[in-house]
Amino acid sequence: MQKHRKNRNVAIIGIGQTALSSHKEDQNQVEMVAEAVRNALEDAGKTIDDIDCVVHGNMELFEMQFQPDMWHALGCGSYGKEEYRITTGGTVGATLVCASDNLVASGLYDTVLCIGFEKLQEGNTTGGITNMADPLWFRNLQTGALTSTTAMELIQKFGKERVLRAAMKYRIMMDKHAMLNPRAHRRLGLEYDQMETLMETSPQLVGELRLIHMCSQSDGACAMILTSEDRVREGTAKPPVWIRDHETSHREENMSNLYGARKPKSTHRDCAERLFARNGITDPLGYFDVFEMYDPSAFWAVDWLGEFLLLEGDEHLRLLEAGEFDLDGKLPVNPSGGVIASNPIGATAMLRIAEAALQIRGDAGGHQIKKEVRHALASGFGGSLWTVLMILEKEPNW
Amino acid sequence: MTVGVGKKRVAICAVAQLKNDPDLWHTRFQGMLLEILEDLQRQTGFRYGEGGVEQIVSVSDDFFDARTISNNGVQDVLGGQYLAEEKMAQEGLNAIGYANAVILSGHKDVVLIMGHCKESQGESRNLITNCGFDPFYGRAVGLDYLNAAGLQARAYMAKSGLTDDHLARIVARSRQWAAKNPYANARETLPPGKVKASPMLCDPIRQLHAYPVSDGAVGLLLASEERAREYTDRPVWITGFANAMDAFFFGDRDLTSNFALKKAAAKACERAGIRDLKGAADVVEVMDCYAYQQPMWMEGLGFCGDGEGARFIDEGGPGKYRVNLSGGALAGNPMIIAGLYRAVEAALQLKGEAGDHQVPDARCAVAHSTNGPAGQFHSVLILEA
Amino acid sequence: MSRYYGTTVDDIFDTMPERFQPQEAKDVDVVVGYECGGEGGGKWRLKVREGAMAVEKVEGDLGPCTATVFAADAETFIGVTLNKIAALDALTSGKLRITGDASLLMNLLPRIFKPYRVPGPAPVTARDIVAGMADRFRPDKAAGVSLKFAYDLTGEGGGRFTVAIADGRCRVTEGLEKDAAVKMTMEASTFVGLMTGTMDATAAFTSGKVRIDGDMGAAAATGRYFDRYVPPDAPRVEELLSLKKVTSIDQRFATGPVMGKWFAGLRERKLLANVCPVCRRTMIHPREVCASCHVRAGEYVELGPEGYVTNYDLVYYASPDPLTGAVRDTPYACAWIMLDGASPEEAFAFEIKKEDLPRLKIGSRVRPVWAEKTVGSFRDLLYFEIID
Repeated sequence: MQKHRKNRNVAIIGIGQTALSSHKEDQNQVEMVAEAVRNALEDAGKTIDDIDCVVHGNMELFEMQFQPDMWHALGCGSYGKEEYRITTGGTVGATLVCASDNLVASGLYDTVLCIGFEKLQEGNTTGGITNMADPLWFRNLQTGALTSTTAMELIQKFGKERVLRAAMKYRIMMDKHAMLNPRAHRRLGLEYDQMETLMETSPQLVGELRLIHMCSQSDGACAMILTSEDRVREGTAKPPVWIRDHETSHREENMSNLYGARKPKSTHRDCAERLFARNGITDPLGYFDVFEMYDPSAFWAVDWLGEFLLLEGDEHLRLLEAGEFDLDGKLPVNPSGGVIASNPIGATAMLRIAEAALQIRGDAGGHQIKKEVRHALASGFGGSLWTVLMILEKEPNW
Repeated sequence: MTVGVGKKRVAICAVAQLKNDPDLWHTRFQGMLLEILEDLQRQTGFRYGEGGVEQIVSVSDDFFDARTISNNGVQDVLGGQYLAEEKMAQEGLNAIGYANAVILSGHKDVVLIMGHCKESQGESRNLITNCGFDPFYGRAVGLDYLNAAGLQARAYMAKSGLTDDHLARIVARSRQWAAKNPYANARETLPPGKVKASPMLCDPIRQLHAYPVSDGAVGLLLASEERAREYTDRPVWITGFANAMDAFFFGDRDLTSNFALKKAAAKACERAGIRDLKGAADVVEVMDCYAYQQPMWMEGLGFCGDGEGARFIDEGGPGKYRVNLSGGALAGNPMIIAGLYRAVEAALQLKGEAGDHQVPDARCAVAHSTNGPAGQFHSVLILEA
Repeated sequence: MSRYYGTTVDDIFDTMPERFQPQEAKDVDVVVGYECGGEGGGKWRLKVREGAMAVEKVEGDLGPCTATVFAADAETFIGVTLNKIAALDALTSGKLRITGDASLLMNLLPRIFKPYRVPGPAPVTARDIVAGMADRFRPDKAAGVSLKFAYDLTGEGGGRFTVAIADGRCRVTEGLEKDAAVKMTMEASTFVGLMTGTMDATAAFTSGKVRIDGDMGAAAATGRYFDRYVPPDAPRVEELLSLKKVTSIDQRFATGPVMGKWFAGLRERKLLANVCPVCRRTMIHPREVCASCHVRAGEYVELGPEGYVTNYDLVYYASPDPLTGAVRDTPYACAWIMLDGASPEEAFAFEIKKEDLPRLKIGSRVRPVWAEKTVGSFRDLLYFEIID
């Protein structure tokens, strides 16, 4: 495996978010983006003049705005500057940070501002998602983003009761984390003694997937500022968070061949294997202090914990059941409440990286992990089950 | 002339292009890109996976494809199977700028760029570009990139003295060169009189001043300096790339100033270590979707003084500076990959593979693209052999 | 107190008869049960049958219902009814529960009942508005104007009035004076709508809701001399501008030769796959390349027709169509089917016959059911049915 040799190191020095909700009628897209940008600049102690390049992304068919970065120039602060627009679907927020990392590491740009956003309210989310499918065939079959096939597989492997309880445990754990995060969108105040009731009474969507298991639809924006190690040495307002490495794993659009007689390797596991191997990480569960995972649904989350952490058998279930993914567990997962609590699609994956960075910095607030966070993992998800994975470090220790 | 600034360089190893066509009804995007893929594989023998291409940068537009995550549909052809793929959602020349950075960052050594678009798929590209304006005012008033160009054309003609006559000659010249380019869309030669007689599309832009609706696909293989020779004997070096953004609302801009283009050109030159393009470039490919844009962008690139566009044409500037020997965007490329086609042309010239329109001994080429309404955003790429 | 958002649960049910729209309830035969907990709650049973409805508060068991709504408390019930609380939040947190046919509540009830609105203060009448005209008169705008115009406002709250402007003064009298330059006849409610801005004036005039006898110009000028009417209890909230538009761009999607072969196969009632020359996987539907091997696959084979189910999605909730709002009949199932002859990963996803859903299992053997006439389209294949 080729050892990764980065031209120069890159750190996150500024993080900005807007509040996330489904009622942002009082702001237009430009204003929403500007809010995130201003928050990021303030966090970094910088002005827009310090930014060399802006990287912008979302899923434009959700808002039906063609080349939105043109209209958004005012809110992004990209006037007179260099700019790129990269879009990859649900993973876009994370891709934007990967791209910004590449741009700064290249030596061509010193300080890059990346912005992910979505205003789902302004369009039709179901329409946008349905448009993801091939118009010639799959669009006729598409059921939006709702599917229970993974729940079905888990149940086949581990038994119905255990799997349903695991999914509900995960869901309630996510809500408990969200309750500590004032910026989260959906905060329901769930308790573990509601488990049985919720398992029975939450409206059924598809198969075992119930409303309670599914992520939100939110509006909001996230902006991050990355800079080179030279600039970091000149001084930063907040502790820098180093981007050690990142990887992306895609696959063909066809999703019929995911649930056949033999299941192909997931992009989650593939991405993790390659990324960890080239960074010499043999025990991800032991190495990382926090994992902000893009979890669109509770069943996927349960499955992917095993995939990302390269676990075998039912180890991921045992860890979940033992509380090792709780805030005070061996590897806290989604202290922010995750995607189930907040999902402004174009920003969601960036929020995972932002939240992981806040944990390293120690200023996540109410949902800060008590133990010191030195090594963080963040994932992005989208498309036909694609993955983006990023490793963040407190120190440039590689 | 210096090549690069003592830094590592990235090479374009191979390029492939589909002939631009008014309507590729008989094939879908996957088929179009497969031809590009096979062409590049034939030229370079590249493989996917460890030690080969591990990163693809695609170019496509969700509106034009009428498909959310338009790179999803073609993922299998792009080759992004358990590999990294990222979509550039702006004009494709920027994919080269981005891929250049990916390789210089050390993240990946070899990057494949593939872009596609069918302007013929939707009933009207003006309906699409209308959606590029803010919903409350610009869209409601009926602005689209065509009439935005009309506004800019009118302003530039007033500033530079460019006339309907000049525009006719620009189009006629474009067709003459397109006739020599087997990949061009509109290759029928036209006398200037016929251009002048074509009906007004959006005053002062006549029908024949506008680039025809086009379908196409393009691919490039980029590699780091250490790896380039594995794929080609004649690497074309990326020595400078930059882009720049202007304001969005027309009231905030001077539509004739080339504000963004001048910034992008200056930065690209700085990175390439050259003083100006006028002295350095042997070949120029500008993205001229409308005839007035050719002299206007040439002015922005520094080939003539401010407001001298008409003079530039009168004094035979395009011929002298070998501008758009491919026929340019005027001959018809889909707008979101028209810049990529410019880069392909520039690379072919530097490789000595430009056939009938080859400039002898071409050592330095400029490729340009624009994005957004009335040239709000510009990108400049400098290549050297 | 059991009063929330200005109303009670009882109010909502008491107003059901007047909000009922019988013309929307033809062919409807349902019983909906409501149970609201806590103070101000109770149980109600709504019957809709043969274009008529009956709602009654009940004690004890609600009996068999087509659907039942459970609200934890009055605040939840009223809040969701008035859209002050997002139904989604209430459902997710468990404060709202629905058993039985949930689609009833999403589709049927909103159709057959006008939405409940909290009763406000007594609505303003046309007479009230006319009476206040003199107070709203703007002498500065009517300098040198001499004009007499009349309103004939029919229906409840209306009346006949003449407005006379002269010498910088405005006088309103009852009755229609014969020397009025113009008489405007309309329903009193139309007048109120126009004056409060809730009705579009152009539309009202164009659609004949307002009849003009006399000088058109005079009719148009009348608004010029008065300040706009503002309802006495209008909330002083800044209204946010909201723009709604459906963007529509027709598309012509190309098929290409590979999908072309697939559709041609369907016309022949064949399920075709193409085979990768390198890894031998059978791609269904056929693809231009094998994603793993990056090569064309020119060899075609027919798979199935039978196969077995490896996974399936039983869909209970269908998202409404973005354009029409139409909702698919649920439940329906999409299954992943290993057709005979397929390589181990390459399942084919398609729908299962509705009647077979109760006995659908992993491992069920299925076969395709074709349309009577196949033309080479998605609709040629109706569904897969379970083989006994």
